[in-house]
Amino acid sequence: MSLVEDSNFLSGQPKVQKQRAVLSFRRIVSDLLNRNWIEGAIPFITFFVLVTVILITTDGYFAPTNLKTLAQYSSDAAIVTIAMLLVVAIGGIDLSVGSTFALCAFVALYLFHIAELSIYLAFLLTILCGTLIGFVNGFLTGILGCGALLATLGTMITVRGIFVIASQAYLVEISSSARFDEAWEYIGYENFMGVPVSFWALVVVTIAIYLMFKYTRFGWHILAVGGNRKAARHAGIDLKRVILFSYMLGGTLVGLAGFLFAARQNSAGSDTGVGLEFFVLTGLVLGLGGFTPGRGSVFSTLLGFATIYILGNVLINAGFRGDFINGAMGLILITVLAIDMKYRKERHRILARAYLDPATMKVDPVQDMGKMALESGQTKLDGATLLGVGEVNGPEDVILDREGNLYCGTRDGRIMRLFAPDYKRVETFAKTGGRPLGLAFDQDENLIVCIAGMGLYKISGPDQIERLTSQTSRSWTSIEDDRQIRMADDLDIAPDGRIYFTDATKRYEMETWGLDLLEGRPNGRLLCYDPVRDTTKTVCDNMVFPNGVCVTHDGRHLLVASTWTCSILIFNLERMQDGPRYFARGLPGYPDNINRASDGGYWIALAGMRSPVIDLAMEDPGFRLRMAKTVPPTNWLFGNLNIGGVLKSDAKGKVIDAYWDKSDGPLYMITSMREHHGSLFLGGVTNNKIGRIDLENADKDWNGPDSYWSKGN
Amino acid sequence: MDAGLNESSNSFQSNGDLSQQNWGRGWFGSAVRSWSKRLSIKQHPLEYIVLGITLTITLVFAFLIEGFATLGNLAIVAQNSTALVILSCGMAVVIITRGLDLSQISVMVAVSSVFGLLLSNGSDYSIAMLAAVFLAVILGLLNGWLIAFIEIPALLSTLATAMLIAGVCRWGFLQGEFLVLIPKSLPIIEYISTGKMIGIPVSVVIGALVLIATSLLLNKTVLGRIVYAMGDNYIAARLTGLSVRMATVWVYVFSALTACIAGIIVSSASGTVDFRIVTNGTLLFEVIMVVVLGGIRLRGGRGGVINLIIGVLLISVLRNGMTLMNLSGQVQDLVKGLVLISAIVIDNYINPRDTETDTQGDL
Repeated sequence: MSLVEDSNFLSGQPKVQKQRAVLSFRRIVSDLLNRNWIEGAIPFITFFVLVTVILITTDGYFAPTNLKTLAQYSSDAAIVTIAMLLVVAIGGIDLSVGSTFALCAFVALYLFHIAELSIYLAFLLTILCGTLIGFVNGFLTGILGCGALLATLGTMITVRGIFVIASQAYLVEISSSARFDEAWEYIGYENFMGVPVSFWALVVVTIAIYLMFKYTRFGWHILAVGGNRKAARHAGIDLKRVILFSYMLGGTLVGLAGFLFAARQNSAGSDTGVGLEFFVLTGLVLGLGGFTPGRGSVFSTLLGFATIYILGNVLINAGFRGDFINGAMGLILITVLAIDMKYRKERHRILARAYLDPATMKVDPVQDMGKMALESGQTKLDGATLLGVGEVNGPEDVILDREGNLYCGTRDGRIMRLFAPDYKRVETFAKTGGRPLGLAFDQDENLIVCIAGMGLYKISGPDQIERLTSQTSRSWTSIEDDRQIRMADDLDIAPDGRIYFTDATKRYEMETWGLDLLEGRPNGRLLCYDPVRDTTKTVCDNMVFPNGVCVTHDGRHLLVASTWTCSILIFNLERMQDGPRYFARGLPGYPDNINRASDGGYWIALAGMRSPVIDLAMEDPGFRLRMAKTVPPTNWLFGNLNIGGVLKSDAKGKVIDAYWDKSDGPLYMITSMREHHGSLFLGGVTNNKIGRIDLENADKDWNGPDSYWSKGN
Repeated sequence: MDAGLNESSNSFQSNGDLSQQNWGRGWFGSAVRSWSKRLSIKQHPLEYIVLGITLTITLVFAFLIEGFATLGNLAIVAQNSTALVILSCGMAVVIITRGLDLSQISVMVAVSSVFGLLLSNGSDYSIAMLAAVFLAVILGLLNGWLIAFIEIPALLSTLATAMLIAGVCRWGFLQGEFLVLIPKSLPIIEYISTGKMIGIPVSVVIGALVLIATSLLLNKTVLGRIVYAMGDNYIAARLTGLSVRMATVWVYVFSALTACIAGIIVSSASGTVDFRIVTNGTLLFEVIMVVVLGGIRLRGGRGGVINLIIGVLLISVLRNGMTLMNLSGQVQDLVKGLVLISAIVIDNYINPRDTETDTQGDL
């Protein structure tokens, strides 16, 4: 009866059509919304759109000389943006940056030209001036707890007042000063390694702040306070101090920017820094994709700033006036904020609406079962002995070892052992923490388990659990990161030790697998774990709910049940890349696990029965979508899970026997069965018992481990 | 971090003052109770402090500055502060809902420049006024829609609309200029700027009318009730089924309308629409100062027209005195900035914020 000799049989079987319709608009939308990087991608996308538009419309905008000029003129404002980021990250805002910037620039000019201090001292004092204003802001908002917006609005006009008064008194004198200093000129105009010095300052600041957010305690504290003030306080963070320091650090950076500006311009006017806070804020909001405290993405922020800066620059070059640019900034600010708010709010709703994505699926008509059909009224499972009643909760798969002990997984994550010969004694064999489904013994009598939500595990003894794999290689066409094995369902082990197992669906969990039927898409895959190399790879992707796995008796082929298509597929283990062929199709129910029978055939568990109505519904995705949206889940049209059975097929996939249960149980929704010494043990994923029937005409010496690994190892 | 504990605890305490005494059940009794509650010094310390400061400053100015304590100067003070009163009426209503309208001055300038342009192009004043009011309503609706329906925090959205409105207006209407000249010879302009109604300047009358309207809005209308409820506890107000979204929209429309009236009065009085009041922007701070110093807390839910009057008194006396002392505009700005900061600090001291319950954008 072996398939090896009969190689014509396999090539005679129809090939399974390659599954299409894996991608759909709905699916792309829901997958995109599911990704976290999509928010961070917004500044990149806008930046590249802008750059592309400029490349098309303007000649030579990105020429080295122009880039150098841009770098020289934008770096001080970019530093101010980082200062603003520090303050926004902590949950505040600093509207006084423009005034502080102007005042610091003035202080630098005054100290350099009028006080004639050394440039280093002038630099230090300028920065100190910025820190001092930062201290005032931090004191008002952090220590006293005033509203940041109004408090910094207050410092903004006060500092602006000081600046205007001071500059009126000294600017003429400053502009007529003839003091020349090489270091001053160097900072203002020179290049270091072909790049302006001020840009290097920006690079240093950027890296420093990046490292601060990433690695230092203070940076983490800032993000914690901005993210959730209450949680931060409960974690023992001194809120007032962190807020004060972040404003002070922000002020320091603004001071640095002011110094760079002073060195470059060598003057300051009454409009210096006016509107800078709005400009910087627009860049920041664009970069962060909204006004979000608790985020320290320095590079995104700078990208947002660069976008705004280049946009403004290009508009000015194109002859637009400052007022138009102001209006444009306001519009950008509103648009980004609006998108952010709406996205934040609607994301989950859209996701919930778009996630379920039914597709057309045509199921083969039910093959003629003749006298074996359910309608014939035979109930061979009636009168089965019930084992472990109430002690095993949801044994999806059952398996027996050489000694005849019975193992099964339960809903609460345990593997139970029922001791031979009467199976009255039940003990917990191991606790997995997931939902154990398929079981198999390997050559060394370790129990290999598929655990839904966790992956593939090996149990080598009581409570000795070891993870074999939980991830596979990523498929490149999928937007969703599908490395994680989501619902490891059933497995079997080839003679060479490779473990073939199914990931029934990549889109749903153990609790929601029913939605996968509603979707009717090829969401599952067949995986292979190689214990020698400890690698996992996807053997066949895009299968329709691949469920039971069974290596054929000859050890050279693999049977995989495709539940929703009501068919069994067969792979040639040596030529997996050829894809599957049909082994049996048009089954009367939804096949779950497949296991070897003693006579060279296979047992096929039917978890539920098809009905013409659900078959029709599978052909109409719109109908199923409407149903899912308008009808409560309890009233959904679904396969009949209240009655199940076991089919027996011969070695060539022809159904030769059927075992049906009574319509009122007790063994409904049968998901697995194992033959052992002339008995058949039956488990069901929603049952609380295991059934046992004695088979006539079966080989009383046959058992699973011997069949796989030959007698006595 | 115990800031939240003593918040609002004093406003419900019994104080053993007039409000506790039995003044009868009739309208008179209830009026006395309500007013004595409003005037209670224990419940409203800031108002009395500010009144005291105002009085002191007035006395000091009266002694120091020649020509301060004259009837003529009083008329000037009243006339100069009408715009401030009108603007702060709108701002107060917004702040009581726990919002803030940073775009008020931009709206004012945009509306009055449309008004001025239409007038100087020879349009009838009624058409110009209608257009101004129409534009104000549109801009108010824009603000309200962004805040109520798009749910952008009020601070950020009005900050952005301020930029947008000012930029578009200057670019579109003024072609980059910052001044619009208004023909002062027009009878309507003349009437608004110098006319008198039963011996009182028309602008002052308009200011008083706006004050009365605001008082009625806050105390006698459903919208007013919702405004207080929203400011006190927004979520509770929403859960009670009040139409908080539409209320927000109307509140910002009201604010824009006050900006419109103030804009027309200011531009008529000076004969120009000066765009620089947006960019140098101390007017906005003055408005916020009036509201905060008057004792309307920034956390919303409290305050009324009487608070505005208290705030305006201080600011206008300060402004007038400083001008009479020949202080330059920059020094005045400096002083105003310091006063604003101290007002915020005092407000924060009297009505502490619980920053831990702040939502995003509650800056």
